[in-house]
Order: sequence, then structure tokens, then C-alpha cells
Amino acid sequence: MTYYLTTVLVYAAVDILACLAISLQFGVSGIVNFSFIIFQAAGAYTAAVLSLPSDSANGGFQTYILGLNLSFPIPWIGATVVGALLAPPIGLVVLRRLRSDYQAIAMLVLSVIASLVVTNTPAFLDGAAGLSLVPQPLSDKFNPYSDGYLWAYTIGALVLAVIVFFIAQRVINSPYGRSLRAMRENEVAANALGKNAVALKMTVFIVGGAIAGLSGAILVGFITTWAPSTWLYPETLILFAAVIVGGRGNNYGAVLGALLVPVGFEEATRYLPPFGPPGLIPALEWVCIGGLILGFLWFRPRGVLPERRRVFPARPKALAAGEQHAGRD
Amino acid sequence: MPVETDVVDAGPATPQQMPAERPLLVASHVSRHFEGVRAVEDVSIDVLPGRITGLIGPNGAGKSTFLAVLAGTLPASSGTITFDGHDVTALPAFRRARRGMVRTFQLPSEFAQLTVLENLLAAAPHNRGDSLVGALLGRRYWRADEDRLVEQARVLLERFRMSAKESDYASSLSGGQKRLVEIMRALMLRPRLLLLDEPMSGVHPSIVGEIADYCEALRDEGLTILIVEHELHMIERMCDPVIVMAQGSVIGQGTMAALRQQREIVDAYLVG
Repeated sequence: MTYYLTTVLVYAAVDILACLAISLQFGVSGIVNFSFIIFQAAGAYTAAVLSLPSDSANGGFQTYILGLNLSFPIPWIGATVVGALLAPPIGLVVLRRLRSDYQAIAMLVLSVIASLVVTNTPAFLDGAAGLSLVPQPLSDKFNPYSDGYLWAYTIGALVLAVIVFFIAQRVINSPYGRSLRAMRENEVAANALGKNAVALKMTVFIVGGAIAGLSGAILVGFITTWAPSTWLYPETLILFAAVIVGGRGNNYGAVLGALLVPVGFEEATRYLPPFGPPGLIPALEWVCIGGLILGFLWFRPRGVLPERRRVFPARPKALAAGEQHAGRD
Repeated sequence: MPVETDVVDAGPATPQQMPAERPLLVASHVSRHFEGVRAVEDVSIDVLPGRITGLIGPNGAGKSTFLAVLAGTLPASSGTITFDGHDVTALPAFRRARRGMVRTFQLPSEFAQLTVLENLLAAAPHNRGDSLVGALLGRRYWRADEDRLVEQARVLLERFRMSAKESDYASSLSGGQKRLVEIMRALMLRPRLLLLDEPMSGVHPSIVGEIADYCEALRDEGLTILIVEHELHMIERMCDPVIVMAQGSVIGQGTMAALRQQREIVDAYLVG
């Protein structure tokens, strides 16, 4: 029971992180990053190869680069950094010149290409078989199979999700967040008002990439395996469904969406009595997720918890105190 | 294809228009081609400071394209644009805006899901919270700037009699109100040159007059305005000089009264 509960909660933390990142990119900034999952995958692979020993260890049954056997938290930091560093090259290609609908297509294609490249270059990250026996954080000091370890890991993951939530709150409630929303509403007009849209998109792309990388590290540290089959492009669509259902541009909506769709929805189907041919229930899950996206876009496009309207207090406090405000001419 | 036209100089518009007056904006032989279509062809104009310069012409004359090229929304295919003595031809739109050249758009371009006040604040420069680092440092770091800009925006809202709409989503406004929001938004940057692209189109007649009043008041305060517009009676009232474009080229300039005397211009546009 402990294993089940902690697994669900760690997945919840990972999905909350992913949905917060997608909400920042898509909900707040209007960037349809259909390659999101490759940022999470990059984080997971980085954490794995930084914490795994050399590939000649364990009988050499898997091949991969690095294998630095670094101790926690370096692999997680590395994963976050790599997630962030992956953003500029992709962003420079995709975000600079393409219109948003073409950006979405380009990113989807990128996701497919990345998966094919990793699958077909076994010497890089062990190809389709993927990496396994990834050491869990601090497993050299604690028993990773003990209940205490599982709960500590879970609490750690949830604390990180809470920290990222507050960071995301700071971003969206700031003037910078307002500029991102202005860019989402009308990029050409924002540019004409002195906003550097490319720089705005790039920064939020990097922040989202860092969060995605961290989420991948948390996941691989718990499940100890990572292969191309775990990060196929449809995984991104589940996360987008979560953000659309929860509420775009609202961090509470992103959390709610993460709990309802990737966690709640997939857990609920686990308890269905088996029926039909094998594979029918997972296939129906996809149908339902597609239906969920369409249904919300049609009937409640702003989600369960829509982006809130910002109302400013009647007079700024400084003015109420009789302070003089000088303009910047 | 552009037609060969001679620029009709309708003479000095007013006694104040002296050669010594240094133009704020100089467009020199500016062209903009779209895969063979010559939307703007070899246009040269001067925009004098402290005036409202009108840019008129029939639909498809290239006025809005020219305005977009001036503002940097579209790059020029050739030619140079000088703003306050500096060549800005290679600068992207956001850098030109930061230098004081701010434009509005032919079609409503409000930030629909932002409130009216937020529309104004989104345009405001010099806010310490308007960067990722500033945002992460928290409200205390940028609150003073925000309060100052909220106050600046509220002064504008009051002036444009839009205070009651402050917390409404911009998408809920009427066409005329959206135009006013766009002008106020541009004014938040404290521009030196305002490029207005048909601010009166699709607007209730009462607001048309109001927009003209605001433009004149802003001019009297020293702001330079270049306005593309089809409301000729308003152009006549506000603008000096007026530039006429047809088929991508300038075919004349001067006061409206002088332009009305030019048969080519009357044929091309004024009765057209």
C-alpha cells in the first residue's frame, strides 16, 4: 500500500511540475510546445547517466554515455540545467521565425525525431531498451525499498512541486507575467510597444525546460528506468489536456488538471474490470483524453479554474499616503 | 505595378513650415515589395515635429504598409528611415518603440484577455518587475514602479474618460473604446512620434470627433503624429501637411486646401 500511495503521489508531483511548466509556456505565453516531453526526457536521461556508474558496470548489459556515478543532488541539478540548456537551440530554430501554429507542428516533429534518434542510436542512451538500474538518490546511505525512504522521496518531490508552484506564481503575478500574457494576446502589438517577444518567449521556454528537466529527474529517480517508450509524443498531449481542463494561465488550474487527468484519470481506469481484447482499455483512455480536450475547448475553453482577472486596488498605497509620484519623462 | 506619377508639391502648407525646421522622421526612398508586388515604391517623406501629418490615399495605396515599415513591423526592402537623426532602418519594431516611435494598428489589436488598465500597464517601460529576474525577486522589488505606472495609467484613463472601464476585459469594449485603449497604450511609452493607422475606422461618429480632439491636444503638448485615415474632414481639420499616396507612391503633399486644387490628386482620391 505504501508503494502504491507513494507512487501515485510522486507521479502527482511530477505531473504538477510538468503542468506548471506547460501552463507557463502555453497558458500564459501562448507557446504551443508540443515537444515538451523531450525536455522531461532530457532531464531524466541526464539524471540517469550522471548517477549511473560506467556502462561497463553491471556486466555491461546496457550502453550509454557518461556514467559518472555522481551523488545526489548533482544529477538532479544537472537534469534541471540540461532541460534549460535544451531550450535555446530549439527556441532559436522554432520560436524566432515561425508563426505559432507552425511552431506547434515543428515542435511535434522535433519530438518524434528525438525519439527516433535515441531509439536508433543504442550507443548513446541504450536505444529502445532504455536505461535501467538507475541508482536512486542517496540509495548508498539509505535502503531505497524501505517505507521511510519511499515517504521521504515522496515528500521531497512534493516540496519541490510546491516551491516551483510559488516560483510560477511570482512569474504570472508580476509585470513580466503581464508582458507574457500581452504577447500571447497579440505578439505583433506587443512588439510594437517595445516588448522583445523573442526574448520573452525564450526566457519562458528556458524556465519551462528547467522545470521539465527537474520533473524527469524526479521520475527516473523513483522508477529507476527510462526508455523511449516512456516519452512518446502523446505524453505531451496528456499534459496539454490537463492544462486545458484545469485552466490555462492559472497555476491552481494547472495543479488541478495534473491531479484530474494524468493522475486521476489514469488511476481510475486501473480499477475497470477487464473487457474486450487486450489493449482496448488503454486505447479507450486515449479516446477519452481526446474527447476531454475537445469537450473543454468547446464548452469551457478557459478550463475549470480560468485565468483570474487582475483588479487593482482603488489607489496605490503610496499615493493614499499623499506621496508625490514623479513620471519618467 | 506602380504607375509613373509625378509628386505634386502643393507648396508650403503654412508659414511655419520653414526649411530650417528639422524633421523628426525622414523616410528616404523607402520601398517594400512582397514577392514582386510593389506595395510601397520609392517613398520619401519628412515628418516635422510638433505637427499632425496626414497620410491619405485610396484603399491599396500602401499607406498601412508604409506605416508598418516606418514602425519596423515590416522590414523595408530598400531605403532608409531616420528618426531624430539616427538611422533606425535596421532596428526591429520593439527597439524603435523604445526610442519613441510607437504605432497603433488598422485592425483592433487590444490585448483581449487583459483588463483595460492592464493593457496600459503592459505597454509601460521602466518597470523593474518586467523581467524574469525582477519577477523572481518578488513584489517588494517592483512594487514602487508598479504603483507609479498604475497612477500614470489612471491619469490617462481619466483624461480619455475611460476610468469606469479600468477593470473590464479589453475584449468587452466597443470598437471606439478599443481605439482609445490603443492610443492610451501607446502614450504609456511617452512616445515622441505616434503612428496612428486609421484610428477612426469603424468608430461611432461621436468618438471620431473625440479622437481628433485628443490628437490635437497631444499635438499642442508637443507630440508629433503621423496619421493614416480616410475621414477626410478630420484630416483637413487636424493635419498639416497631408501626404497623398496612390499605388505605392507619394503623389502629392501640402494642405488639404492646396491638394484639392491638384487635379491628379482629386482624380486619384479626393473624389474617388
